[in-house]
Amino acid sequence: MNEFLISPFSAITHPTTVQTSLYAYGSFAKFDPSGRYIGVGRFDGVASIWDLETRAAIRFLDGHVKTVTSLDWSRNSRYVLTSSKDWNVIVWDLAALWDPPQRYATIRCDAPVSSASFHPRNSQIVLALLSTGEVYLIDLRKTYRSRVELVEPDDGDEEGGRRSAMTVARFDPSGKHVFIGTHSGSILVFSTRTKAMVARHRIAGGAGSLKGFDFAKSGRRLVTNSSDRTLRQFIVPQYPHPDPDGSFLETELEPTHRFSDPINKTAWHTMSYSPDGEWLAGGAADPATHKIYIWDISNDGQFASTLDGGREPLAYLHWHPSKSSIASTTKQGNVLIWHSPNPERWGAFAGGFEEVDENVEYEEKEDEFDIEDEEETLKRKMKAEEEEVDIDTVIEETSRPQNLIVSNGDDEDLAWADEDPDEDAAGWTMKIIMDDEEM
Amino acid sequence: MSGTNFKPKYILSGHSKSISSLKFSPDGSLLASSGADKLVKLWDAHTGEILRTLEGHTEGISDVAWSSDGEFLASASDDKTIKIWSMELGTEAKTLLGHTNFVFCLNYNPHSNILVSGGFDETVRVWDVARGKSLKVLPAHSDPVTSVGFSHDGTLIVSCAMDGLIRIWDADSGQCLKTLVDDDNPICSHVKFSPNSRFVLVSTQDSTIRLWNYHTSRCVKTYTGHTNRTYCIPACFSGTKHKYIVSGSEDNKIYIWDLQTRKIIQVLEGHRDVILALATHPSEDIIASASMEKDLNIRIWYNESGET
Repeated sequence: MNEFLISPFSAITHPTTVQTSLYAYGSFAKFDPSGRYIGVGRFDGVASIWDLETRAAIRFLDGHVKTVTSLDWSRNSRYVLTSSKDWNVIVWDLAALWDPPQRYATIRCDAPVSSASFHPRNSQIVLALLSTGEVYLIDLRKTYRSRVELVEPDDGDEEGGRRSAMTVARFDPSGKHVFIGTHSGSILVFSTRTKAMVARHRIAGGAGSLKGFDFAKSGRRLVTNSSDRTLRQFIVPQYPHPDPDGSFLETELEPTHRFSDPINKTAWHTMSYSPDGEWLAGGAADPATHKIYIWDISNDGQFASTLDGGREPLAYLHWHPSKSSIASTTKQGNVLIWHSPNPERWGAFAGGFEEVDENVEYEEKEDEFDIEDEEETLKRKMKAEEEEVDIDTVIEETSRPQNLIVSNGDDEDLAWADEDPDEDAAGWTMKIIMDDEEM
Repeated sequence: MSGTNFKPKYILSGHSKSISSLKFSPDGSLLASSGADKLVKLWDAHTGEILRTLEGHTEGISDVAWSSDGEFLASASDDKTIKIWSMELGTEAKTLLGHTNFVFCLNYNPHSNILVSGGFDETVRVWDVARGKSLKVLPAHSDPVTSVGFSHDGTLIVSCAMDGLIRIWDADSGQCLKTLVDDDNPICSHVKFSPNSRFVLVSTQDSTIRLWNYHTSRCVKTYTGHTNRTYCIPACFSGTKHKYIVSGSEDNKIYIWDLQTRKIIQVLEGHRDVILALATHPSEDIIASASMEKDLNIRIWYNESGET
């Protein structure tokens, strides 16, 4: 509602200044899909949920006994998943009527969990990466209840047939495929439904061990972070349906862009696309400063700006799902919320006042100071008021990017994921819990 | 033009001084009333039974507001505080301190994590309800603030004051985005966003109610015929498919206008003093009304036109 009054025409830009910092004691912070909340994983095993409107922690998810390694939100933010070094993945239900919130499910793994995430369409399908380099797809639905390891098929010709450890695992935005990065620098693509590998990509020129993935919301572009201190953007190829006899696509991927810091040669902790995919933010792994690099993807990936967040080194960053805002986490555990401030328009304080960008030579209109018959004016005004008004129809804002690819029913993979849906319906509300501590 | 045929259904008595505000709960089951007798009373909206009386303020109360889940009620008082009442426990959950003069009006945002209030200290304040802390103080007006409210999506705040200005604010940053003012600058006594938040309905003390398109700064409808020169009398939209506007009046009557034609479609008589408090039911054709001290009864009116 406010967008039109603030800036009717502008597209999403990149943030420029710190709006606020949250003293969250976390190792990373991640926006929810609505952008109203932020989830923070802490070293002590607690995950906290912050309300960005009041900038206060509203829920503490206390279930792990070791560091929280990742956090994910279901598409309507009702369920939160946390993974931890204590070998567990916990799913929390924020619609629970009591505080602290209840665990909705606990998934026990065989090793410390490096990261875990929800399937984008159904929070009952969970992807987990273990620190031992294995990836599991865990399906909690009654009809499909299973835990399947995603294994790269042996092709014999590799030395000793030893598979490389998996170091990254992510669903693509549609949830159809799981993208896995390996220690040896290849990208493996699995079908979520059949669990079969559909493709194996080598990165042209080699990239070293893969450290992270991020997808643009459309799912057409992927950016990778690897041990050679370079971020690479790729166009995601179209994948054929999984082949029943187990053959798969084996190709080399050529990056469209490479992003690195040519001067300091810093490594990257994380990177995140803007919601429209026009910007890419990279969090520099600099031990002494808090630096975010912004590249302008729409302008051929040109370097646009560096954001300096002060002396606390950066550990993580995440771009807001719909706004020009970034949450960056410092090594000291504080979360900086970046925004691009709108200049105060003092003209807004005066009624019937309009600001102009440049001075305009004022020309008096022919009839401007004519004295009109009051009765005539009133009559015209009343005539204008005859026009019907619509006070009920809400005009949807178009600038907000759609999060989910709509299933038209004929896509087998999407239909499979939509079976036995979770209870994460839009419009659920999180209960307001009154803080007991007196002021 | 569809007419209405509101008939008195219940007469509720309980308050011992002027009644200042009436609000139906979001699910329409309860009616909250507040008054100069420092009390908040809760009534069953469908039977008229008194359910609960909330005591705690040390001065008269000017306004009440429901949270959108109906779990909390907030009250604004001349004792300069806002109190949040838990409906589950029937007790006071929080007191918000900060206003330096009478608190006159308040409203929740749709998520009900934030409350906005205005008062005689000429400020608009934004509160974190759960922690009872002030988030923002907007030096909004140069006279007492008479009405505040949120848009349906919570991104805008509207306020109006005795200085005759209607201002629209960005809820997140607290920046003023727009000011509406009528040519004659009459005192503004009540403002409310339309259900889709494309318009604001403004009552002014020149006996006029105007519907403004705030994007174009144009008044698109004017409703007249009632008397309003002295008090802050609210105007309400209907909550049903019948589209009408309701307002109290200083001639002790209630006026109902057709939203589109701006014609008076019904005048309700019965109260014996100025109508200060008025509410429309969120989903049924029901109106609640109350007046100043010569008549301490709350009246509940049902539409019996038979069209529903």
